[in-house]
Amino acid sequence: MSDSIGEFTHSEPLTLGVELELQLVSRRDFDLTRGATDLLGTLAYDGRFGEIKLEITESMIEVSTLARARVSEIHDDLAGLRETLVQQCDLNNIKVCGGGTHPFHRWAERRICPGERFDEIYQRYGYLAKQFTVFGQHIHVGCTSADEAIWLTQALGKYVPAFIALSASSPFVDGVDTFFQSARLNAVSAFPLSGQCPPLADWKAFVEYFKLLQACGIARSIKDLYWDIRPKPEFGTVEIRVCDTPLGIETATALAALAQSLSRYLLRTRLPLHAERRAHVARYNKFQACRYGLAAMISDPVGLCQVSLRDSLLALFEALAEDAEALGCFDWLQVLAAVVQAGSGDAEWLRGQAKTHGNLHDAVRDASARFMEKAA
Amino acid sequence: MGELLGLPRQWWEAAQERLFFLPPFPEQADSLALFSLLLVVGLLIGEWLNARFHWPKLIGYVLAGTIFGPSLLGWISIEALAQARPIADAALGLLLLEAGRRLDLRWLASNPAVRRSTAADIVLSFFVIYLFASLAVGMEPAWAAATAAVTMASAPAVVLLTVEESKAQGQVTERVILHTSISSAAAFVLFAMVLGVVHAEYSDDWLNAVVHPLWVVVGAVLIAWGVSRFALLVARRLPKRSLAQVFILVASALFAVGLARMLAVPVFLTLFLMGALLAFRDEHQTLRYTELPEGHWLLAIILFVVIGASLPWHEFTWLTGLQALGLLLARALAKIGALFWSGNDLPSKKRLLVGVGIQPLSATAVFMAYELASLYPEVGRSALLLPLFAAAIMEIAGPALCRLALVKAGETEHGEHGEKTKGGIG
Repeated sequence: MSDSIGEFTHSEPLTLGVELELQLVSRRDFDLTRGATDLLGTLAYDGRFGEIKLEITESMIEVSTLARARVSEIHDDLAGLRETLVQQCDLNNIKVCGGGTHPFHRWAERRICPGERFDEIYQRYGYLAKQFTVFGQHIHVGCTSADEAIWLTQALGKYVPAFIALSASSPFVDGVDTFFQSARLNAVSAFPLSGQCPPLADWKAFVEYFKLLQACGIARSIKDLYWDIRPKPEFGTVEIRVCDTPLGIETATALAALAQSLSRYLLRTRLPLHAERRAHVARYNKFQACRYGLAAMISDPVGLCQVSLRDSLLALFEALAEDAEALGCFDWLQVLAAVVQAGSGDAEWLRGQAKTHGNLHDAVRDASARFMEKAA
Repeated sequence: MGELLGLPRQWWEAAQERLFFLPPFPEQADSLALFSLLLVVGLLIGEWLNARFHWPKLIGYVLAGTIFGPSLLGWISIEALAQARPIADAALGLLLLEAGRRLDLRWLASNPAVRRSTAADIVLSFFVIYLFASLAVGMEPAWAAATAAVTMASAPAVVLLTVEESKAQGQVTERVILHTSISSAAAFVLFAMVLGVVHAEYSDDWLNAVVHPLWVVVGAVLIAWGVSRFALLVARRLPKRSLAQVFILVASALFAVGLARMLAVPVFLTLFLMGALLAFRDEHQTLRYTELPEGHWLLAIILFVVIGASLPWHEFTWLTGLQALGLLLARALAKIGALFWSGNDLPSKKRLLVGVGIQPLSATAVFMAYELASLYPEVGRSALLLPLFAAAIMEIAGPALCRLALVKAGETEHGEHGEKTKGGIG
């Protein structure tokens, strides 16, 4: 059964929405535990901060904020959702944790959540669905028109390595250090419709492309497109999907600030996209960011050279200062600038905890405590 | 049999004249050999029941012990059973150690509904059984209290092994484990108090009435305190979750079993307390993530075969059987009622399933009953037949009920008919 894309819902410009996929861990040994259905089954919550919902497996839970104009409102929503979730988890004797992967869980033990869509995904993708127990942050940026959404999707593509490196929090998989800063995206890459949005000029071209996928039996609905950045017509947004869930909501909020100020900057300056050229280096650059994080060297297909991601990020923060000031989120960008200057983010923090304790159980224990930390 | 052995005996004796090392012709099979065969039969029955009917393997072990034990076929003697008792003690000790480590008081602190249902389970179970034993069966107050103390709690060994066997995880599973641990703790305390009551009732020796319960409790606490401290001190020098830490955990548990046996302090109480203290005092998470080795299943087979063989089926009467059924029914109503009416942070169907999941009654109850009976053999043996028969019935039904609850909650790896489960009930 194929769904048509439908009309693009127009949003207020640059409004934001954030989704976080979170880990549910046992308080006894800090391994992932099954608890999402029970957690939501008895949750008394009026939705004032957004939604709390099931994800593909029983060890995951997703929170999503309401659509907001200001970054500070996103932070308040995330704080409210965190509080609600943690209280409910306390009642069920489980802990919530950030991070892009659980460092040592065994994917085969995961249980698919009840629900027609989840069951269909499991039937279609088999074990990949259970291995998809990885945790990401999705950021929605509101667009005033469908064409603007397609243009922004292309324009933001250049910054995929930046979002990956700044959010990277998944260095461990199956109990071993992968040497990656973000190993989560390797699980996503296995899906046939993952990767980049092809160079498309406007909404009409996108609709034609999607109809081709439908006619060939490749995609049924827009939810089948696991692109790094994709338009989301029903919300009227562009959705950035490459971020790991950070270890705390402060970084999650700061990433939303980056998305908002960067989108404003791009839409304001409308610099040339070079979409065709960028498509040639996109996979390589993505690998670099996943593997090396802020220390990555990124290929520039226009300047025909390699540039340091850390240097280009510092330059970007300077370039975005005016837009960030105008949006009232300059301070949030400084949170990310501090991470870049220090040269180590969540992934290195997790490695440090694992080294200090000599085991990953205590590293997850510390990470779940960190998720609860409030801003000073 | 004697005729059958005639020819081999002649050959043997003829050979003995030439072969000086041959012992006298073995008239009886060695008890260890027979016991080992019994274990193999138990294992096979357990595996067959599990593969054919998806029943918990524990049922097979208990059935083998019951059928081939002294009460029925007499394949194994009471003396041989006594020889296996230290191994059964060690197995029970290890499982109770694990139950103690699962005693999660932080959950009680953070969830009022769990506190309520825990209190309701303990109070209702004790008083309903006490009233049934004294009013319906006509037991004297001391033995009615003893019966209630022995049978009020769920069985940690059965619950932990059933959860592990079915790879269950979820709220029903967690709450079954929590209620089992806490009700066991309450039962152990009441059991110590009952010791004093029994002394007071049957002798004028007030010294023993006061000192014996104290000896049991203080002795168990001191052994548990000392050995848990020793285990943590040694384990802190070793890598977490290492094989060396597993060895320390098991060795210190066996050390505690030995000390408890030396000082006539109940093994089950000592090891449970040791587990609880290991969990509470492990500030640096030294042994928190260290799990018991897979080998504990081997010990579990021995434990449940021994329990099956220890059940006094030869003393069965229809009246006692009916009374035991009545006691189990009253106990079931008390537990299910307590969970259903008080644990309102779970959907009602799941509360019901927690109530069903905590029905097992087993090893600790049997061992507690024998411990009490040994104090005043002339009275205690007959007075404690009721809880022993209740335990005997639940040896078979308990694991099945526990598994049924976990399966119905959708928390096991496989469903009722062995199919892979997809998800839990909402």
